[in-house]
Amino acid sequence: MSEDLHALEAWMQGCILRPDRAMQAESIRAHLVASPTLSPAARLAIYQRGYVARLLQCLEGQFKALCHTLGQELFADFVAEYLRAHPSRSSTLSDLGARFPDYLEETRPDAGLPPAEREAWADFMVDLARYEWALYLAFDMEGHEGSPLADPATPDAALRPQLSLRLSRHAFPVDAYHHGVRSGLSPEMPAPLDTRLCVLRKDFRIGIFRLTAPQHDFLARARAGQDIETALRETAAEHGVTAGEAAEAWGRWRGRWIEQGFFVAAPS
Amino acid sequence: MSDLPRLGLGLGLRHVHFDHILSTWPAVGFFEVISENFMYSKGRPRHVLRRIAERYPIVLHGVSLSIGSTAPLDMGYLAALKALAREVRAPWVSDHLAWTGVHGVNTHDLLPLPLTEEALRHVSDRVRQVQDYLELPLVLENPSTYVAFTASTIPEPLFLRRLTDETGCLLLLDVNNCYVTCFNHGLDPVGYINALPTDRVAQMHLAGHQHCGTHIIDTHDRPVAGAVWELFRLAWARTGGASTSLEWDGQIPSFAECHAEVLKAGDHMGAAFNPAHVVKEGSTGVEALSNPVGFLVPEVTHHLIGEVP
Repeated sequence: MSEDLHALEAWMQGCILRPDRAMQAESIRAHLVASPTLSPAARLAIYQRGYVARLLQCLEGQFKALCHTLGQELFADFVAEYLRAHPSRSSTLSDLGARFPDYLEETRPDAGLPPAEREAWADFMVDLARYEWALYLAFDMEGHEGSPLADPATPDAALRPQLSLRLSRHAFPVDAYHHGVRSGLSPEMPAPLDTRLCVLRKDFRIGIFRLTAPQHDFLARARAGQDIETALRETAAEHGVTAGEAAEAWGRWRGRWIEQGFFVAAPS
Repeated sequence: MSDLPRLGLGLGLRHVHFDHILSTWPAVGFFEVISENFMYSKGRPRHVLRRIAERYPIVLHGVSLSIGSTAPLDMGYLAALKALAREVRAPWVSDHLAWTGVHGVNTHDLLPLPLTEEALRHVSDRVRQVQDYLELPLVLENPSTYVAFTASTIPEPLFLRRLTDETGCLLLLDVNNCYVTCFNHGLDPVGYINALPTDRVAQMHLAGHQHCGTHIIDTHDRPVAGAVWELFRLAWARTGGASTSLEWDGQIPSFAECHAEVLKAGDHMGAAFNPAHVVKEGSTGVEALSNPVGFLVPEVTHHLIGEVP
């Protein structure tokens, strides 16, 4: 460890991450020299301004609909606080927004109130952030590409949910809202609606599918490793459905889900 | 150095140009990719890069090696970098003479080092470790800097010369950064290039900058400035025609526009260098962002399909 170098780097990083704390003019003059046109503090300020602005650009890209909904100014305020609480610890910017939805949940102004008394808009913001992060992850996570997807002739015993398939449950119809924003509209905040979704990537394109409660539970069981037969039986039991009704439902789901890339074929 | 290929004129590979490249396979000497954008990718970026690497030379350019940091080297990062370099058969791997953070933090900025004997020893040790691990030439770029330290005792070109002498590493001469840094520190950019060990330059960069009157910001968001083209004439001659790529990272225009910009380099290769043309330019407005990184975030919503309720 180079002690002087370490101390200088720690000092400069402190100035950049927390300019409100570290702006002692004396220490700046001790460490930095003036240019022909700028004082040491003015030169340091270039790095200080750039730090949040640069990462804000990234988070705006990762949470576009949330930024649209909050408005750029409020979104930027949240981001500045988030970066203060959770500065990046990753070598890739792809991870930058990973904790942002949880951060919004933890710091919501009504966090101390019972759930029934909390503000719906804050619930919606967190819900939307979680949805956008799920889409962002789906874009670049491990997927089926390189392995064949199942086809209609694949026997049930060989069907496995593909690697990128993720299930989520939301208190609002975030998928429809997100689609509205993406289409250039400014939709109103929607009314609450228990919304179950499947997000997956097929041939490098991200698919988003609404699910019913039994569909969601069935796919969750399959993702957890149950075979199709067991997952169907247990889902039927949970939802008070007969084996015949479950088989009939599976017959309706199967072809569509295979076409949409829900399953790969396990090697025989 | 003599074993390294001369790749001609290349471009920084950007997400927004993927489809154009895959559909037209333009005549480009090489592509330079931001390592961190691809080394962890398990989706379309890595897939596209594999396809492009089948047809073009690829060089890797990192922004998170943090060679100047006093934090330990990130061996997981180096492992991913090495794997990517092997996959695309990169002839070299580059990053910056900079640090990005300490105490586990990554500011995602390229922060300047105090140019001291201590820093030189520290960076030299780490360069040797990285080169041994990667089993590839490490190429370090002169950064754009906005501050200088009271502790500094070694001029930057001399620091880079001694670093190459002590480690055998190579240099990426960013001609725009040279201009930006020299303006910001009141130095002579011609003297800077003349003091560099130009025989150790494996690659050069060109980019646009923003002149703010009192300082210049390395914005990568506009065409290359005239003074930088003039400096490029000198750099091209001194390096004997090192592989040269354009970085355009903010308000990225069409592929054709980026390509046309780097091809302008052809007008300056072999042209007479006139130091009087390395002039100070006028201010061009409100300060934009240095080292923009927004382009590193892919436009995920362009790849959505599915059932809209």
